[in-house]
Amino acid sequence: MKNKFLIGIVSLSALFAVGCTDLSEEIIDESLDVQTDNIISAAMAPAYGPLPDAFTHTKNYGLQLVSSDQAILPPRGSGNDWYDGGKYIELHQHNTTTTNVVVRDTWNAFTLMLSRTITAIERLQPLAATDSEAAKALAEMRGLRAYYNMLMLDYWGIAFKKDAASEQSVILRKADAVNYIESEFLAVVNQLDNTKGPGRISQASVNGFLAQLYLNAGVYRNPYGTPTFPQNDMDKVIEYTNKVIDSGLFVLSPEYFSIFDDNNHSNKELIFAIDQRSNLTTSHNRLAYWSLSGSQYPLAAFPKANGTDGPALTKYFYNTWVQAYGSTDPAQADARFYKENLVIPQNLQNLTGINPANDANHYFLVNGATYQINRGIQRGIQWGLRNSANGQPFQTINGQYKIYPMIEQRDGFTSYVNHGIDIDLENPNNKDYADGYRVAKYQFSSTSDSGRNKGQADIVLLRLADIYLMRAEAQLRKGNNGAALSDVNLVRASRTARPQVTPPALTSINLDLLYRERGFEFYWEYSRRTDMIRFGHFEDTYASKTNADVRKRLFPIPQSAIDGASSAPGYLVQNEGY
Amino acid sequence: MSCVSFTFAQQQISGTVQDDKGTLLQNVKIANLQTQTAAVTDSLGNFIINAEKGNVLEFSLDNSTQKVTVDNRTRYFVTFTNKLTDIEEVVMVGYGSQKRSDVTGAIGSVKSEDFNKGLVANVGQLLQGKVAGVNVANVSGEPGANQNIVIRGVGSLRSGTTPLYVIDGFVIDNSNTGVANNPMNFINPDDIASMDVLKDASASAIYGARGANGVIVITTKKGKKGRTEMNLSSSLTVSSLANKMNVFSADEFRKQVTGMGAKLDDMGGNTDWQDELTRMAISKNVNFSAAGATENSNYYAALGYEDQEGILYNSSLRRYSGRVNVSQKAFDGRVNIDFNINGSKTENERPSVTSMVSTMLTLNPTYPAYTNGSPTTVFNNGAFNPLIRQNIYTDFTNNNRILANISPSVEIIKGLTYKLNLGVDYSNADRIVQNIPHAVPLENGSLNLNYFSNNNTLVENYLTYKFKIQNHDFNVMAGHSYQRLFLVARGWSYLNFPNNGIEPQYQIPAGDKTTMTSSSIANRNELQSWFGRVNYDFQDKYLLTATLRADGSSKFGENNRYGVFPSVAAGWNISKESFLSDVDVINDLKLRGSWGKTGNQEIPNKITKKSYKSASDGSGMATYPMDDSGNYPVGIYLVRANNPDLQWEVTTQTNVGVDFGILNNRLTGTVDFFKKVSNNILLEISPEDPIEPAETMWKNIPNMSIHNTGWEFALDYNSDRNKSFTYNIGANVAFIKNKVKDSPYKVISTGEAQGPGTTNAVINGYLNGQPIGTFYVREFVGLSENGTNIFKDVDGDGIITDNDRVAAGSALPDFTYNLYVKMAYRNFDLGLNFNGVSGNMIYNNTASTLFTRGRLGLSQNTTDAATQFPNESVNNTNVISTRYLEKGDFFRLNNATLGYNLNPRILGIGNHVRNIKLSVTAQNLFVITKYSGFDPEINTGISQGGIQSFGIDYSTYPKARSFVFGVNVGF
Repeated sequence: MKNKFLIGIVSLSALFAVGCTDLSEEIIDESLDVQTDNIISAAMAPAYGPLPDAFTHTKNYGLQLVSSDQAILPPRGSGNDWYDGGKYIELHQHNTTTTNVVVRDTWNAFTLMLSRTITAIERLQPLAATDSEAAKALAEMRGLRAYYNMLMLDYWGIAFKKDAASEQSVILRKADAVNYIESEFLAVVNQLDNTKGPGRISQASVNGFLAQLYLNAGVYRNPYGTPTFPQNDMDKVIEYTNKVIDSGLFVLSPEYFSIFDDNNHSNKELIFAIDQRSNLTTSHNRLAYWSLSGSQYPLAAFPKANGTDGPALTKYFYNTWVQAYGSTDPAQADARFYKENLVIPQNLQNLTGINPANDANHYFLVNGATYQINRGIQRGIQWGLRNSANGQPFQTINGQYKIYPMIEQRDGFTSYVNHGIDIDLENPNNKDYADGYRVAKYQFSSTSDSGRNKGQADIVLLRLADIYLMRAEAQLRKGNNGAALSDVNLVRASRTARPQVTPPALTSINLDLLYRERGFEFYWEYSRRTDMIRFGHFEDTYASKTNADVRKRLFPIPQSAIDGASSAPGYLVQNEGY
Repeated sequence: MSCVSFTFAQQQISGTVQDDKGTLLQNVKIANLQTQTAAVTDSLGNFIINAEKGNVLEFSLDNSTQKVTVDNRTRYFVTFTNKLTDIEEVVMVGYGSQKRSDVTGAIGSVKSEDFNKGLVANVGQLLQGKVAGVNVANVSGEPGANQNIVIRGVGSLRSGTTPLYVIDGFVIDNSNTGVANNPMNFINPDDIASMDVLKDASASAIYGARGANGVIVITTKKGKKGRTEMNLSSSLTVSSLANKMNVFSADEFRKQVTGMGAKLDDMGGNTDWQDELTRMAISKNVNFSAAGATENSNYYAALGYEDQEGILYNSSLRRYSGRVNVSQKAFDGRVNIDFNINGSKTENERPSVTSMVSTMLTLNPTYPAYTNGSPTTVFNNGAFNPLIRQNIYTDFTNNNRILANISPSVEIIKGLTYKLNLGVDYSNADRIVQNIPHAVPLENGSLNLNYFSNNNTLVENYLTYKFKIQNHDFNVMAGHSYQRLFLVARGWSYLNFPNNGIEPQYQIPAGDKTTMTSSSIANRNELQSWFGRVNYDFQDKYLLTATLRADGSSKFGENNRYGVFPSVAAGWNISKESFLSDVDVINDLKLRGSWGKTGNQEIPNKITKKSYKSASDGSGMATYPMDDSGNYPVGIYLVRANNPDLQWEVTTQTNVGVDFGILNNRLTGTVDFFKKVSNNILLEISPEDPIEPAETMWKNIPNMSIHNTGWEFALDYNSDRNKSFTYNIGANVAFIKNKVKDSPYKVISTGEAQGPGTTNAVINGYLNGQPIGTFYVREFVGLSENGTNIFKDVDGDGIITDNDRVAAGSALPDFTYNLYVKMAYRNFDLGLNFNGVSGNMIYNNTASTLFTRGRLGLSQNTTDAATQFPNESVNNTNVISTRYLEKGDFFRLNNATLGYNLNPRILGIGNHVRNIKLSVTAQNLFVITKYSGFDPEINTGISQGGIQSFGIDYSTYPKARSFVFGVNVGF
């Protein structure tokens, strides 16, 4: 009996002591086998996929915009909105530290995208030998990798040469990097075509990137020196811009703001753009949302979709418009400055004696379905839909929406939103919510129920106007002023949708005027910092910025990357001056 | 008591029972052999019984009895003989137990009678302040809130620093239970008999790769030999906000806003929003237990009901629990089966804490809470009336959890015992977070559903062999353990529900399907271990313990799947040496020393393995429109690089300690010194080559270490038991120094600040030579002429940047202390527990974000922190700086309990009722601190990248002051 019991216990234990496990981790919620109906697209899509996010306001958009002389973002109002650890102040003042989060997040986005192109290349390589479509896709991925590397060279002075996930990247700087990127573009440009639209790397876009590379090559080879523009490079700029222009595929847009509309994917001016679709969770409306007043609700359908009082135009940059047009209001002189979509009836324009407490009847009515806010640079008191707070219903009457002077919600509903020109980091009176002129360049996405996401407009990275202005610059730097002037005027004259504000032709051209012209044409896009460096203006003094250290042309490599590489001394060396 | 002279009066007599060393004896049964009445001694050895002259009282404890005949005295002092009290305190050491005098490691033990009384939801609260070097800090005042339990300092940068819990031999896993609050709320504190905290490596190394943060061994109650005992206890608790924050009243507010020249938004009301949004909370607790034992079996069965109301509305914790513990012996005691089962259902309702607390502090006090008797719907600034908001918000979690284990053991030959331990821990949690649609103000409604299922299975086999060779005592144990954890989590969320009076949770299909998001996670982990221990003892004088555990975990890389964790310890009972036998004053003296290694394997699943994911909706940023079709390809992307070398963190700890007892053991104490060094630090960092598919990867950082050195002292003094007034007084104190060394990183940042304008702003930063919990912030010097911040230019480059941050103190106290006093006089007893910390700092994120001058100017309420500098600009920036760092020192009367033993005889129920105890407990009666927030015991910081943050206070659930009225009836 006793023995039986013992045996019982022992065998029971043997049953449960499931013996020795090998402890190999069993992964049950992730799969390495993915079903896909198109191997080639599935390989390429992840390399493009992070683009919308990489070019958002807290990453590359903020990085490029706020570090330039066009935009400033002080901590606003009493809640110190957008203070965010001082990251935008550092950027604007060129006091950027190695722990700056905008720099880090942009770096992480670009290194991720580079790595995605390498994964795609590794996947496509074995197919390319037998499949012509795969061969073309492989060329496209190499072109995309070279483009990402060119941007990293522009921002950090670094390019990464890496062909397989198992290799360690070779870190290239200066001329080595320029040569590598050039050779990659050249290797693929003739394998590509122009059939896929602006959202994909095409022959035209690579030609355009080559022009950009040659135009900036002098800077990239010697980032801290006085920029040089060797004849040879300028000839290449002309050669490659000609290829784009001569292709005849692209047309300057008669309406300047159409370039930035929801449906801009079909706009013929676009050469390369980030394709955004409302039903992709990556697509965002941040370019439209960021600068607008927090009290601005641009969509009648969505009472939670508002702006956020982000960056404003610097007075310094605004004054370049004033210098150009003298006593004429730039809104009356240049189609690129402003487009009025909301005409305030004469009888309501005078706001004397009107204030938020007594203005209940001071409105006019609009049709919610067609309602559009003004585009371009926004100054003074703004008008718009009115609700009692974020998310609350708009005031309507018989299905029509009431348009009032906008009440400053963040400042306690006691005053109107009145964008003044003064904004800086020092004077506490110049950094309230409404301070500074705003920019509504992109259309506020009609599907963006939160105002943040569900963007539709493609994010424009290369367009025909830039091709002309690059060619003009190369001609000018070669001394061919006439050719340069004709390209500049061709672009100005193309904005014919509102003829009374088509920019008038310039009578002469020089580098200062061309620089100013690039400012007007490409303000609030991604190229200002690069332009400032190339034209020697990055060390200028402007609103709240005095640092003239040339080493700030390049951003610091983020501390997290330096820390990560600390196990390999000498591998990833911090940029000078940080 | 003038009525003592009743004829033949049965009178109440009292007394104290102790052993010959002066240790007070609890649970001694006293029977009046003439009247058949009985009593039992309490935790201070006191008893009360009715008897008359000539009656014989029989005192019994286990197998020993003593008889005393009642004479004219009313107070008796009974000493049990030496032989009997050799039944000494037993300490649970993991896979076995030891007599206290044989213990060589540093183990702090707390018995149920010493647990914190009153309104407690979990084991952490029972233990707070009871063991030197064990710092239990509630993270907030919410019912069942989480605690930071730190044993001997923080030894890891990551979130895995809580100790390992072992309940009746079952190793608990609390990761991802889906419970929003403390996962240990599922155990009824009333069922716990004792807790042993294994502090040093000698004690915790038997739990190897999971022992580095210390181990808390929980033993639940068992039946005791003697008569069957039944206990009914019930309590009612009244709680209210302990300390209000000093925000401006409506009148002051009007004065302050207009005084600073701002436009006042005045709705004419006078509302104290802290009063409106907190309540007098009523909590109830009922426990019933029955326990008994025979020669061959014992049982304990209990039911518990706990209903805690929080001081915020919609805040409660309800637990229904049942436990059965049974032991059965057979075959002349050679076979023993222990069986424990605990089932509980825990319902936790939570308010939207951050929003409610920040609202109660900052909402304009001139806004009337009610208009015509119902909550005001429209405020001038468009804000949602919080009284409406809290009615349409629900956050409800239901957790059902069963913990059961059965462990048969067989004595194969004399001294050699084989034991099998089979256990399961099944936990299911359902969490619903919803906003009910509302018209004015508008809320479209939302619903979040989450479901968690955890299965934890344990199989252990071990042999214990006790034998003696002359004066050499051996106890050898060796075994194998296998544990499997299986977790599944699923979640869905929807927005936009029709406003039709039905809660979103009851009409899921009505939600807007285009807004649905979903998630699912499934993990399976295995742990396999071999372990062994040798205890050697020579004449009770010289003690030696050696343990070894080899732990394998599926979480680690294939190149480092097993870790070996050794420890050794020695003890010397000096008081048993002949040269001390004549020294009367010293009753006990023991020297202990130990060294050992333990591990920390609390890292996420799957991180050693490469991982691909695929998506076509934008998630993972894996797809892109490749054409105009509107279809997006399924993109495949690598999210994680593999690292087959990944292994656990290792903590090496050295401990030296002394235990002593003098003056007839009336004064006892313990002193320990320890040095704890953690290596192989695990961090999620950027890869060496920046072009990797994953932004970060997990790595063991070579050379980097975290050092904790400290002293622990515990002293306890008992008064003369022969007096009618007795008392017991004691204290424990710990000094701990923490330091990070040889970090290859400039700074490891964490602790994201909360509130507008603080995105990415970090408060904690850990760097070489500084402790974990360091605040790495700018140094506030004052205000400039135009009312803006001036910070110290630390690097002297003329500009103020991130490089001008300084290590400005740490959130970890360098000194923690606890004091207690227990007193007894006749039928009354009183216990007081104080605790305090010193040397720590708190970052007042509430003040830095909410109490700014600018917000006051916008008619948001603040404290006078906003008006401290009259020339401050309303647009001055609330940069993370020393301006908002405050001293976190405090001294608290944590717990005060007054008890009264009511004689059942007086009520005429003496034949049925053994004892009745009435008690009143006050919790958090006062706290002395300079900290300006609700309470200095907080931690709301948000960790970044899995790095722990400490000492950040942002709109924390405020602490309550509670009064607990309890009655305990023993049958």
